[in-house]
Amino acid sequence: MPGRTVTPWLLVTPALLFLTLVFLYPVVKLLLNSFSVGDTFGLGNYTSFFGDRFNLEVLWRTLRVALVVTLVSAVVCYPAAYGIQSVPPRYRGLVTALIIVPLMTSPVARTYAWLVLLGQTGIVNTALLRSGLVQEPVRILYTEWAVYIGMAQLFIPLMLLTLISAMENLPRDVVPAARSLGATSLQSFTRVILPLTREGLVVGGTLVFTGCITAYVTPALLGGARVQLLATLLYQKAGVTVDYAAASVISVVMLALTLTVAGVLRGRGGRT
Amino acid sequence: MSHLQLDHLHLRYGNAPAVEDLNLEVQDGELVSLLGPSGCGKTTTMRAVAGLLAPAGGTITLGGQDITRLPANRRDIGLVFQSYALFPHLSTFENVAFGLRLRKVQDAELRRRVGDALEVVGLSEFAARLPANLSGGQQQRVALARAIVIEPRLLLLDEPLSNLDAKLRLDMRGELRRIQRELGVTMLYVTHDQDEALALSDRIVIMRAGRIEQQGTPEQVYARPGTPFVADFMGWQNILSAGNVPEPLRRTHPAATHFAWRPESVTLGAGPTSGRVLARTYQGEHLEFLLDSPLGRVKAFAPVTAQWAEGSELTFTLPPERAAALRDA
Amino acid sequence: MNSSRVPIIILYLTLVFLVGPFLVVFIAAFGGEPTLKFPPTSFSTQWFTKVFEVESFRSSFLTSLGLGLMSTSLALALGIPVAYALSRFRLPGAVVIQTVLTSPALVPGLVVGLALLQYFINLGGSVYPSLLAAHTALLLPYVVRVVSTSLINLKPDIEEAAISLGASRLTAFRLVVLPNIRGGVAAAAVLAFITSFDQVAVSLFLTGPGVSTLPISMLTFMEYNYDPTIAALSTLLIIFSIGLVLVFERVLGLSRYV
Repeated sequence: MPGRTVTPWLLVTPALLFLTLVFLYPVVKLLLNSFSVGDTFGLGNYTSFFGDRFNLEVLWRTLRVALVVTLVSAVVCYPAAYGIQSVPPRYRGLVTALIIVPLMTSPVARTYAWLVLLGQTGIVNTALLRSGLVQEPVRILYTEWAVYIGMAQLFIPLMLLTLISAMENLPRDVVPAARSLGATSLQSFTRVILPLTREGLVVGGTLVFTGCITAYVTPALLGGARVQLLATLLYQKAGVTVDYAAASVISVVMLALTLTVAGVLRGRGGRT
Repeated sequence: MSHLQLDHLHLRYGNAPAVEDLNLEVQDGELVSLLGPSGCGKTTTMRAVAGLLAPAGGTITLGGQDITRLPANRRDIGLVFQSYALFPHLSTFENVAFGLRLRKVQDAELRRRVGDALEVVGLSEFAARLPANLSGGQQQRVALARAIVIEPRLLLLDEPLSNLDAKLRLDMRGELRRIQRELGVTMLYVTHDQDEALALSDRIVIMRAGRIEQQGTPEQVYARPGTPFVADFMGWQNILSAGNVPEPLRRTHPAATHFAWRPESVTLGAGPTSGRVLARTYQGEHLEFLLDSPLGRVKAFAPVTAQWAEGSELTFTLPPERAAALRDA
Repeated sequence: MNSSRVPIIILYLTLVFLVGPFLVVFIAAFGGEPTLKFPPTSFSTQWFTKVFEVESFRSSFLTSLGLGLMSTSLALALGIPVAYALSRFRLPGAVVIQTVLTSPALVPGLVVGLALLQYFINLGGSVYPSLLAAHTALLLPYVVRVVSTSLINLKPDIEEAAISLGASRLTAFRLVVLPNIRGGVAAAAVLAFITSFDQVAVSLFLTGPGVSTLPISMLTFMEYNYDPTIAALSTLLIIFSIGLVLVFERVLGLSRYV
């Protein structure tokens, strides 16, 4: 059509301008700022950040949490996603809704639930004490365990939905076909389902992993000051101690981690 | 007034040339088919005529007016898509009324014209239905009514029947011809189905790789293919290169590169060449034999009473008077 | 136990893990004790009354509501044209455009908030516009993705049909495209609004004295109060989410868009 070269640009320009102005410019400037010491270019902010054992511990803990939560959700969600086929069709909408509800719920409300459950007087400790398994309340809150649990609840829905849709897109009858050719149910999983849903696994894994690296509310409420992750450390540096140099370094590290993971996984498994 | 003329039309699909130097005329009231395999440029040509694709060169003239640069929405050209492209949220009536509403046609006249168009396609009782509640054939008719109700200067149809089942396709073929005659509308019809083109057209334009390979009346292209490509497309299943056919035939057509015979023209059971039966298939009205011979593979029809078995040897004739002399383009 | 039952049992256990804690919050919200205790030993609805009495909740709820509606509208206004352009035209540099548009989803929210704090507010900008800008930027990728999905599922030939019948591209969009992507646009709006309404990371640095969003007010309140008010407020928010999800799952099939 005449005008076809101008029209699309008119359509995308406002959004691009907007993002450049209020998003790209400040973010890029923040990232670049991490490389300036005083008024000159330098890596001083990085050497002092990575020279601090505490910061390295936080970085390592963040990676550990992200990795563990990603693996656990993959291991849990594969059978769970497969299980939805056995749910009577008229309840499938309900099951899907139950998976989506947590995603749509305020993370503060969601995380608050774990405060109630895991606290010293929470239901878990009450049960443990009553059963006689422990004599005093166990500390769960403000440990890495609490962060694992909170993160898992936060991100399992993403992995589960991605895998469910990957399995729905499996060609019809491939599993019965594999079984008819003599595959055991484990073999039909490893040889047929796993390769065919790898892309979904990669997408879900990326979402969970990057989500864990950037989540703030869960580590802030469940980990507290004792179990800091990069996100809570960033808030502390910028919001409490007003150390913008360290905050910008953490920003770069977080962004580098999420982009690397997204990029590496995308390269290995297709689109994200 | 609806005479279409394409002069030196060049079209690109992305960066690849799709149609090169195409010259074509469609007379007022004529039904011309663009026939060819997918990727031959026929749909691209149609889209250019509709104004959905800007030509890289050449001109398009409709009724004496140069419309090469005219926006698609001002061309008054009716379009029927392979997918029908009905508006899913509008009823049959509103689908057909769409073009008239844009033209600000008064309500009474709009009702009359939509009613007429629906009557022409035989869908008067379905005016209130949504497209999702119509069968494929009915959707097809709505698409047609929607295109003709604006009284277009030219009607373009892109494989309109290819999504219908075999029986319905035959019915609609006749319907299309009737409606085209009834309205006297000029029509450019894109198809890859030679039977459809033969049955419908006043003239057939066979396209290959962005160029016109041959054009003529259905009788001409069917009975006198000019190139191996056209012969193959028209069901001349035995196409032999000139070197393989007997000397006398070659001498009468010195320029021919290939000769072709239809399977029903091959005489089995007598003749100078012998072949072995590779396959014998029953086709209802006749038997089809696939022979392996020194000339190459040959397909021939024989009465269902023929007794030759698979693997047996038999002789056959390729009658010179029934051969088509072809020249590779 | 039949081994073919294992997957569905894991699924149900997972659902309990995902949704179960909400039930605990519901029960805790009705406790009579002045500090949070589970299980509660007495019944009271006073915390629900208190939610509406806390001034910071009232004002921040209105802020979040307005912010959610405004940023959603802005993101739709900016995002729908982009989704249309990307799905209907072959643009040179489409990959770059797409990358820029998805980037707000890739950059951690805290970083976005910090960047705007340093280079907008600290340079004299005001809080509310920067919150609005940050939220809108955050929502754009969602809007573009969801609306693009609907547009890709809608064959472009119905627009061409409309154009051949005399419609301009804009008229074709209004009369033919928009009515057929209503579901996608509504889903995008719901997802965008919830994303904004629940947003913590992006807002954390951008709220201050005078302007606060509901989730930030909740976090602040929790630092100094140990009574079940937050449980009551969380209950209300969870019920709101459940209602929203059920309605939209029924009407739009929301799960197709998440």
